[in-house]
Amino acid sequence: MNVGPYIIGATTDVFSTMLMVDLGVGEPVEGAGGDILSNITAMLGLGGDIRGMLAVHCPATVAMAITSSFLGMDIDELNEDVKDAIGEIANMIAGNLKAAFAGHGMKIELALPTSIVGTSFRVAGMLEARRVAVPFDMEGSQFLVELKYIVNG
Amino acid sequence: MGHNVLLVDDSSTMRKIVGRSLRQAGLEFDNIYEAADGLLALEVLEKESVDLVLSDINMPNMDGITFLREKANRAHMKDIPVFMISTETGDDIINEAKALGAVGAIKKPFTADMVSEILGPFLK
Repeated sequence: MNVGPYIIGATTDVFSTMLMVDLGVGEPVEGAGGDILSNITAMLGLGGDIRGMLAVHCPATVAMAITSSFLGMDIDELNEDVKDAIGEIANMIAGNLKAAFAGHGMKIELALPTSIVGTSFRVAGMLEARRVAVPFDMEGSQFLVELKYIVNG
Repeated sequence: MGHNVLLVDDSSTMRKIVGRSLRQAGLEFDNIYEAADGLLALEVLEKESVDLVLSDINMPNMDGITFLREKANRAHMKDIPVFMISTETGDDIINEAKALGAVGAIKKPFTADMVSEILGPFLK
């Protein structure tokens, strides 16, 4: 299954519907690479017919712009509102992916999102997992949506 | 319009967005109460007069399905209508929610127009 288009569809739908922003879409990267400098990562676990993780990696500027648009107020620091907003973005993208996977007869359970703020961290694990990452452009700044997964059975 | 609504979601951002969407949709409420999970929602329903509940499904402490089940067991609140508002809108979970008394569902992501279209007829 080619999941890149599903990640793109799931993500652009969330941004166009909730933020009225048309994202620029980069080429999906399979395997290692394509990482960007991230100041906040929101991730949530996937279970059921696949197991894995969906992560949204954002530089501070993008994360604050998303949160400002969500809340209709200026945001100038990576505070709890930003962690919550990026977590909810990850949650909605995962929800859209869940529906897309259901179209292939695969049932996915979603965990609750978790957000991490920092300047030097890596998300590691799941050595056997397939990884697909898609860069997006929001008003001149990039962020990354990454899916790591193993099909069960 | 003279209604009180309760928004149940573990995301404070989402509670604000839903509240704003209600206003943008022209759905006015006297009071908008908020709760971060099903347990806290039950506490609000014990204390306040609420005409409508909009509830997420995936939440810590008490999820939306358990909230519906607990609410259905309490005679003084069991008839308060609940719409689910969630990324979880598969047939299985929505049918389970409806069997427990939910009257409808709104899928995240959503627009104010979608909120108006789904809730408007119900509130008239």
